[in-house]
Amino acid sequence: MTFSMRRFQAIVQKEWKDAIKNPQVLLMAAMPIMFTLLFQRMGMEAGILLSMPILFVLSMTAAFVQASMVSEEKEKHTLRVLMLSPASAIEILFGKSFITMLISIVVVAISVVVVGPTLTMDYLWLVLMFLLALIMFIAIGTIIGLISRTVQETSISGLPVLLIFMVGPMFAPMLKNEFLETIVSYLPTDHLIHALTEITKGNGFSAIQGDFLNILIWTALSIPACLIIYRKRRFD
Amino acid sequence: MENIIEVKQLMKSFGSKTALKHIEFNVRKGEIFGFLGPSGSGKTTTIKILTSQLTLSAGEVHVFGKDITRTKDFSHLNRIGILTDNSGLYERLSVYDNLELFCKLYDVPLKRIDEVLGEVNLLQDKKALVKQLSKGMRQRVTLARALLHKPDLLFLDEPTSALDPKNTLHIHDSLRKLNAAGTTIFLTTHDMSEAEQLCDRIAFIHEGEISALDTPQNLRLMYSDHSITVVTEHNGKEIIVQDAAGIEKINEYMVNGQLQSIHSNEPTLGDIFVKLTGGNLQ
Ligand SMILES: Nc1ncnc2c1ncn2[C@@H]1O[C@H](COP(=O)(O)OP(=O)(O)OP(=O)(O)O)[C@@H](O)[C@H]1O
Ligand SMILES: [Mg+2]
Repeated sequence: MTFSMRRFQAIVQKEWKDAIKNPQVLLMAAMPIMFTLLFQRMGMEAGILLSMPILFVLSMTAAFVQASMVSEEKEKHTLRVLMLSPASAIEILFGKSFITMLISIVVVAISVVVVGPTLTMDYLWLVLMFLLALIMFIAIGTIIGLISRTVQETSISGLPVLLIFMVGPMFAPMLKNEFLETIVSYLPTDHLIHALTEITKGNGFSAIQGDFLNILIWTALSIPACLIIYRKRRFD
Repeated sequence: MENIIEVKQLMKSFGSKTALKHIEFNVRKGEIFGFLGPSGSGKTTTIKILTSQLTLSAGEVHVFGKDITRTKDFSHLNRIGILTDNSGLYERLSVYDNLELFCKLYDVPLKRIDEVLGEVNLLQDKKALVKQLSKGMRQRVTLARALLHKPDLLFLDEPTSALDPKNTLHIHDSLRKLNAAGTTIFLTTHDMSEAEQLCDRIAFIHEGEISALDTPQNLRLMYSDHSITVVTEHNGKEIIVQDAAGIEKINEYMVNGQLQSIHSNEPTLGDIFVKLTGGNLQ
């Protein structure tokens, strides 16, 4: 496995030039901030006020945007050209993820600045949990993008997957189906929501140990999955 | 002579459909090799296999002496340039930015961008966004990108299909120059005059089989009916078969000073194409 900083930077630079001209990316970056400001004016509880943009950023600004960008490279046949160049899988995938990650971090940071001062909590764990979840969501977004052939397919097949991840934990308890609840209890989002609630309440690591472990495992599995699927797509 | 590409008994099937039926050919170092065939005959499939974008079903393929069916190391692709209909461009970026990315990926100095844009006659459009370009302009940007790293081997899948005659000529000149500088070129085309003008050797592929492979000159001789066309004052245009009677006739025309024009009837590549494939061009 090779990694060249020069090639990684070249891809990041291309990705940046592309992202700032992509209205979808800009919209997905602006929306969580707008919602946070709006809900704050409506007087929503600070804990929820912070969880909301984080979940939105992970599913939309990170995973969905990443999926669209990857599938756009497939649809327009630019991924094929990258694959035939000296750029390695790691350089291409990390390069593609870098800007998505950066935008997501900036958006969440702004939300924290807006909401944060009203909360007393351990920022270290908030940052760690968020970053871990971010990596996982970008990997999932990449997988969705690699599997779909067109951007439209991403919207049709990828969005429902992300929605199940996001709203599953909220709605599963209402359906009173044990099987469904068991499945949802393994979802990283279920654990993330729980952990965010605990952290914003001011609780420490002991309260989120299980959640941390769950997300760590998901993250650790999603990266190799991403690379394996990428290599499979090497051949038409 | 050294072979850059060696293909033996190459077979490719998609499900129950066999696209390539045990084809065999070699591409020699330094030549322009033409791969001609009607639509759906297997040209693009062959290029995809040779460039490791598609796995083969059976057979053996060596590129630069490397058995590409049994390797996981694709570093030889760094010496290859590829232009196919599935070589995409970044629409929201400028022509320059598209090329800059690949300059950096191939570790080529940025001044090379102007050189390749000159080769494809696009220097004036360097700053234009790709999404504003016409089809032919995109095709030329893609070709420019394939040339960036001065590949030893260039695959061109219908490189001039969207170009006007002036730009086609310009590209032909560039390809000849490139070839003279040592690049081996594998070219598919529907354009028989393009093949005739550029190619050192030509393979005709039809329904996944190679039906003829030789120099354009030999192909024309091979498929010639050896008749001769003469034009005389009295009889106008006449086609004469090369036999005793024919010789007699020509002899007579010559003795009497009636002969205005005489030439042997070799078929054009287009004629051979139609004969071999039973179909029309396109
Ligand atoms: N991915 C695929 N799945 C199934 N069949 C395929 C696939 N790719 C090509 N084929 C089939 O293989 C045959 C050869 O196709 P190919 O694209 O190589 O033709 P071609 O000679 O390049 O034609 P054209 O001049 O139209 O570009 C066709 O019959 C085509 O339908
Ligand atoms: Mg083709």
